[in-house]
Amino acid sequence: MASEMVTAAFDVYRFDPARDPAPRYQRYSLDLAPHTPVLSALLKIRAEIDPTLSLRYSCRSAICGSCAMQVNSKSRLACETPIGPEIARHGRIVVEPMRNQPVVRDLVVDQEPFWRHYEQVEPHLILDPRHPMPEGVANPMTPEEVERFKETPRCIACAACFSACPAVEADPGFPGPMALAKLYRFVVDPRDQARQDRLVRIQPGGLWTCLRCHLCTEACPKDVRPSERIRDLKEMAIAAQGATEAGSRHAVGFKENIRERGVLIEAKLVRQTSGVGGMLGQLGQGVRIYRRKPEILKTPHAIEGADEVEKIYEALDRPNEDSG
Amino acid sequence: MQRHEVVVVGAGLAGQRAALAAVQAGRDVAIVSKLHPLRSHSGAAQGGINAAVGKEDSVETHIYDTVKGSDYLGDQDAIEFFCTEAGPTVVEMEHFGTIFSRAPDGSLARRAFGGAGFPRTIYAADRTGLALLQGLWERLGTEEFTLYEEWDLTKIVVRDGRVRGIVAFDRKRGDFEGIAAPSVVIATGPFGRVYGRTTNAHSCTGDGVAAAYDAGALLKDLEFVQFHPTALLESGILITEGARGEGGILKNAAGERFMSRYAPHVLELASRDVVSRAIVTEVAEGRGFPGPYGPYVHLELMHLGKEKIESRLQEIVDYSRIFAGIDPITQPIPVYPGQHYMMGGVGTNSRGETNLPGLFAAGEAACVSIHGANRLGGNSLLETLVFGKQAGLAAAAHATGAPRAEVAAADVDAAQAPLRAWAARKDGEDPSALRTELQQTMERYVGIYRNEADLLEGLKRVRAVKARFENVRIVDQSKVYNINLTDALEVGHLIELAEVIVVGAYARTESRGAHARTDYPKRDDAHWMKHTMARKTPEGPNLSYTPVTYTRWEPKERVY
Repeated sequence: MASEMVTAAFDVYRFDPARDPAPRYQRYSLDLAPHTPVLSALLKIRAEIDPTLSLRYSCRSAICGSCAMQVNSKSRLACETPIGPEIARHGRIVVEPMRNQPVVRDLVVDQEPFWRHYEQVEPHLILDPRHPMPEGVANPMTPEEVERFKETPRCIACAACFSACPAVEADPGFPGPMALAKLYRFVVDPRDQARQDRLVRIQPGGLWTCLRCHLCTEACPKDVRPSERIRDLKEMAIAAQGATEAGSRHAVGFKENIRERGVLIEAKLVRQTSGVGGMLGQLGQGVRIYRRKPEILKTPHAIEGADEVEKIYEALDRPNEDSG
Repeated sequence: MQRHEVVVVGAGLAGQRAALAAVQAGRDVAIVSKLHPLRSHSGAAQGGINAAVGKEDSVETHIYDTVKGSDYLGDQDAIEFFCTEAGPTVVEMEHFGTIFSRAPDGSLARRAFGGAGFPRTIYAADRTGLALLQGLWERLGTEEFTLYEEWDLTKIVVRDGRVRGIVAFDRKRGDFEGIAAPSVVIATGPFGRVYGRTTNAHSCTGDGVAAAYDAGALLKDLEFVQFHPTALLESGILITEGARGEGGILKNAAGERFMSRYAPHVLELASRDVVSRAIVTEVAEGRGFPGPYGPYVHLELMHLGKEKIESRLQEIVDYSRIFAGIDPITQPIPVYPGQHYMMGGVGTNSRGETNLPGLFAAGEAACVSIHGANRLGGNSLLETLVFGKQAGLAAAAHATGAPRAEVAAADVDAAQAPLRAWAARKDGEDPSALRTELQQTMERYVGIYRNEADLLEGLKRVRAVKARFENVRIVDQSKVYNINLTDALEVGHLIELAEVIVVGAYARTESRGAHARTDYPKRDDAHWMKHTMARKTPEGPNLSYTPVTYTRWEPKERVY
C-alpha cells in the first residue's frame, strides 16, 4: 500500500460572501501519496497551510454524506476520491462547491433546496388507520420484497446527484434525483398505504422533467442509481394513472408512434404529446421548423423489416416483474 | 434568546429518540446539532442491534451475556430493563419504517455477534445504523419541533443548581445565542477523537460530555475505552464485527488462526476486548505483518465466497476497495485495533437523569451503565433507542409545569468571551497541532495495554497540551462557517475528556474488560467493583466512586 509521493496542485474555490467581492481560486501544492483521498488532502491543507479554508466533513468513510463537492467538475465525495487518478487525468485537482445550491462559504453550500425537495415527497410511511400495523411484532416482509427497494436504502443524502442534475438547474421546481429515489423507496414499501396517491401527486412537474441523462447515477457514490428508479416510477405512474401528463403522453406517444412504421413520425408526435390545443400553441415554432426542414410534415415510409420492430414491442408489452 | 421546554443536543439516534419521546409527551422541543441529523455518526454503525427475539434465545440470556461482557461492572438492574426493552424497541423501529434484512420466512434476519450465546443481532445488511437513522428521522419528521441545524453547543447554563438552557453557536451566521429550557438532554455521542487511530467520525469530539462536565455533571467510568479489533489500516475505518459474525477469520503473518490460543471455544467471536488484546499481543511478539502504516494482521473473508460477501457485507467491500485498495473477495483485509467506543460518559440512571436537576443524557454520551467495562457488539444501537426514549420522557416530565427558563445576556457573553480571545490573539497555538499531539499521546500512553509509568507520562503530556491550549489561537477572522473556531472548541473538549480518561485509568489498579493494566493483570472485585465518578475542579478531575448494582448475577471469571 505504500506508494511514491506525488506533488499535487489543488485549485480550491474560495468565497466568503461577507468579505469577498467575488469568488477566487487559491492554489495549494503539497506532496502526497496517490491513494490519498481529496478530503485528507484538504484537511492537511487546513492543518499545515491554511486554517481558513472552510468545508463540511465528518465520517471520512463515505457514510455521512457531508463532503460532497465538485472534484475536477464531477460531483464526488471528497473522502473517497483518491488524488492519483485525478492528477493523472487532469494534471491538477480543481475543488469547487456543489452546484444547484447557493454557496455559504468556500466549499460549503446551503442545502436548503435539497432538503426542501426531500420533504416534498413525504419521506415517511403513510398509514391507513383502517389497516393498523401488527401489534407487538414486526410486519412480515420477504427477502424478495426487500429486493424491490433496489439500492435506495443505501442513499446517504450527500446531494452529489442533486448537484450533478441538469434538470434541477433548468427547473428549480424539479425534485431532483435523491428525492425521487426516496419516493421510489416508499412507493415499493409493502408497509406504505399511499402508493397510488404518491404516484399521482408526483406527476405534475415532478417526474417527467427528468432528462434521462443518467448523470445522477454516475455521480452517486453509493450506487443508488436514481435515474433507473425514476424510470421505474414513470412506468408505475403510467400503469397507475395512464398517460395524463405531457411527459407521460410523450413517452407513450413515442412508443406507439414508432410502432406504426418502425420510424418516428415527427409531426404526429407533437399532437400525441401536447394534444390538438397544445399543437396550436406551438404553431409558431412549428412554422419555423417547417421552413428549415419541410420534410417534417411528410409521413415517412415504413422501414424495411417493420414486422421485426413489432416483435420488440410484443416483448416490451409482456409484464415487467422488475418494476411491478 | 430562544426558548423551548426541552432542548436535545445531538441528533443521532439517541437525540432523535429523546426528541420524539418529548414531543409525544406534548412538550415544545428543540434539537441542536452541529451536523444535519442524517449526517450523525449513528449512521456509521454497521453490524446490527441486539434483541432476543429468536425462539431458541431469551431475554434472560441477553441479560447474562451483557453482564458477563461488561466484566461485572454493568449495573444489573439497568441491564435487565435494557434487554427487556430490546424486542419492543426493534419492533417499533420496524413500524417506523426501518428497512431490515429479512429471513426467508419474512421475519427479521439475525446474525451472530461476539460475546453472544445466540445469533441475536438484527441487521440491515452492513449499514444498520444508517437504516435506523433514516427510519427514525423519517418518523420524527412527521412531528412538530425546532431544528437548530449546524449549531455548536458551547455551554450548559446552570444557576442555583438548576439547568436553565444552553448557549450555542450558529456556524452559518457565526452568532452565539442563548436557548433557554428547563430540560436539556445531552446526546452528542462519543469522543473517540481523543485517539489518533479511531473508527469515530471527525465530529466525535464529546462536546456535550465536556459541557456537562464543565457545568458540574459527574462523568462516569471514562477509563473504559473500547478498541475495535478490526479497524482498517491507515484510515482506521471500521470493518464490522458482522464480518466475523458471517464467518470471517483472523490470521497472523505466520498464517496461523491465532484466536485459537486466546479464545479456543468461540475464536474470532470472543468479546471485543479479548480479540483486540490478542491482535496487539500477536504483533508485539513479532507475528504481525510489517507495513508503512504500522504492523497489522489479516481479516480473511475470501472463503465465504463472492455472493455472500457482496450481499451481506456490501459496504465492507467498498471500504476495502476504496480506502485500502484491496478486494476482500480475493484478498485479506489489513486490520489493527482502533478506538471504537466509549463505555463511559455523563453518569445517569435508567431514566437518563444526571446529578444536575434538568440535565439528562443518553446514548454513547451517557453512562448508565449497561456496558460496564466492555460493550458487546449490537448493544450500542439498542442503547441509543432504549435510553434515548427514557431520557426524552424524563426531560419532558421535568419540564412539565417548570418555571420559565432564562438564559441571561451575561451567560451568552461569558460563553463567547474565551472564543473572542482566541480570535483576537496575534500569536498562539494552532488547534490542529494540539489535537495531533493529544491523539499521539493517548495512542501511545493510554492505549489497549496500560501501566503506571505510561499513564503518569501520559497524564504529564495531556496536561502540557492543556496548558498550551490556554494560548490557542484562531487565525480565521470570518463570521461565516468558521471551522477554525469550531475546531478549537472541539479540541478544548477533547483535552478535558482525555485528562479524565487518564486520571481514571491511573487510579484503577486492576484489569477489567477494556481496561488492561499490565502491572495489575487481575480483576480485583474486592476493591474495584465500583464506578469511577469524575467531577471537574480547577486542579483537574476529582474522583469518587459509587457501587455497582447487582441483582442476580455473581461475578465469575470471564472466559470465552
